[in-house]
Amino acid sequence: MAQALLNGLVSGFLIALPAIALSLTYGILNFANFSIGAMITAGAYLAYFANATLGAPILVAAPLAAIGLGLIAVGVEHGVYRRIRNADHITLLVASMGVAFVLENAIRFAYGADVRALDVAVARPLAWHGLRLNHEQLVIALAALSAMAIVAVVLTRTRLGRAMRAIADDADLAEVRGIARARTVDWTWALSGALAALAGVLIALDGIVEPLIGTNYLVSVFAAAVIGGIGNPFGAVAGALIIGLVEEVSALAVSTTYRQGVSFIVLILVLLLRPQGLFGVARIRR
Amino acid sequence: MMGYLVAILTFVSLAVLLGLALNIQWGQAGMINFGLAGFYGIGAYTAAILAKHGVDGFTATAAAIAVTAAFSAGVSLATLRLREDYLAITTLAFSEAVRLVLMNEVWLTGGTDGIRDIPRPLVGVIGGEHYEVAFLVACLALIAIVYGLLERIVSAPFGRALRAVRDDDVVAATLGKDVLALRVKAFAVGGAVIGLAGALHAFYFTYIDPGEFAGFVTVYAFMSVIVGGKGSNRGLMAGAVTVMILLEGTRFLKDVVPVLSAQQVASLRLMLIGVGLIAMLIYRPQGLSSEYRLSARQPAGAEPGS
Repeated sequence: MAQALLNGLVSGFLIALPAIALSLTYGILNFANFSIGAMITAGAYLAYFANATLGAPILVAAPLAAIGLGLIAVGVEHGVYRRIRNADHITLLVASMGVAFVLENAIRFAYGADVRALDVAVARPLAWHGLRLNHEQLVIALAALSAMAIVAVVLTRTRLGRAMRAIADDADLAEVRGIARARTVDWTWALSGALAALAGVLIALDGIVEPLIGTNYLVSVFAAAVIGGIGNPFGAVAGALIIGLVEEVSALAVSTTYRQGVSFIVLILVLLLRPQGLFGVARIRR
Repeated sequence: MMGYLVAILTFVSLAVLLGLALNIQWGQAGMINFGLAGFYGIGAYTAAILAKHGVDGFTATAAAIAVTAAFSAGVSLATLRLREDYLAITTLAFSEAVRLVLMNEVWLTGGTDGIRDIPRPLVGVIGGEHYEVAFLVACLALIAIVYGLLERIVSAPFGRALRAVRDDDVVAATLGKDVLALRVKAFAVGGAVIGLAGALHAFYFTYIDPGEFAGFVTVYAFMSVIVGGKGSNRGLMAGAVTVMILLEGTRFLKDVVPVLSAQQVASLRLMLIGVGLIAMLIYRPQGLSSEYRLSARQPAGAEPGS
């Protein structure tokens, strides 16, 4: 049980990164980015490209992947989302699904469906009072916590963060007050892409690289963001921890293959009982 | 060649049915269904499992329609008071859950091996030789029936109320429309058509596995509706045919570009579909033909739907 809680905590940290990314873009652009799963996958493959193909050590490959995916996300914003900004948000949803489809198949085009692995050394797990913590889990926890700390500092302490929060609150008012909306949106996408890429690298580190690794986390990520009150990055972290714990603890009772199924049930329950999320403000409109 | 043509036309028929379903859910009622593939799978597996247990094809198809409609109503109920995003999230998550059940409940679905040798209805009467052609004729007849029914629904007061809810649910509610019931019904009607398509899929291929009910099915259906013009059933037919021509036409890419492997050509074709979908949304969001509307033109500068 204690082991399950520990594993759940680590997997919660992992889910938190894309959940924050999802909440950031939702808060500022007011649409749910359905390509977040494909973005995670793309991040993993970018790291794989830098690490296994170009031979860069993983500590270099991971930031490269984050920067690369950040740039791709900004590119997609300019090429797709910005052009349909004036359409209703359903159109944006459908467009993000199209983006996911293109990204996923571009990856298949380049790398096929083969299962790959990053070129990293395998280390012995740490043991402490009968609890085992894999080296990879430690890296995941540390990397995710540092990334969250950086996001928190950016959001609360910088001009960019203030601008992002202002736009999330009221985009028109923020623009009237002289906040450069387009540039803030670009930075939000860059941050969102970097977070998704980091999640992809961490997932790949703990397992394998294949075209569906991000999609397999899609339901968990959305469930986490909804629990946290979608659009609220800090809530998303709490939601991710809850989802991580519920998934791992439920694995004691139901088969691990149903991890996403458990997330689906949690998602439905939250939507029925508390649709604004556990930490969201009740300002949900239809 | 004849056989190929019949096969393609049967695929197109299934795509048209899925498009018609999405067109009432999304086009008419404004309810987004990102889990269409999952509902399609439910229809196909219901028909296949029943047929394998000796239920005759027509009863199995009716059951597939009923079961898929019931699941659609249930899933839509969970999010009806919320914004459209939540229905999108829930249907997508539902579809993933369906895929997990299909892959893991081996006792029921055969797992990743799928279900093979699904008995076809009336195969004894028609005979194997002309069965494909007869099946296509049946599909076309069913499309005609579904199209007729949906057109009636669209032009009936129910359809008008649906569009009113889609365009502004507060106004519709103020006018005394039961917004909740309208939405559940619309989603269930769409689900019934998806269930029918699923059953036809199972009987046509006589073999199904979970991989056939993945996200690309949903993307094709959205592409058909977007190309045809959201809300227009006639446009949708053209849209579904266009998408299938694109899909089948690009199949020959591998003859033109021999350096690519079959896998790469397949990925490239799907990429093209995705790019096409995005391009349509950007450059021609109203599709090839737009919904017939009685309303006066919007004054210049007004943003529709906001």
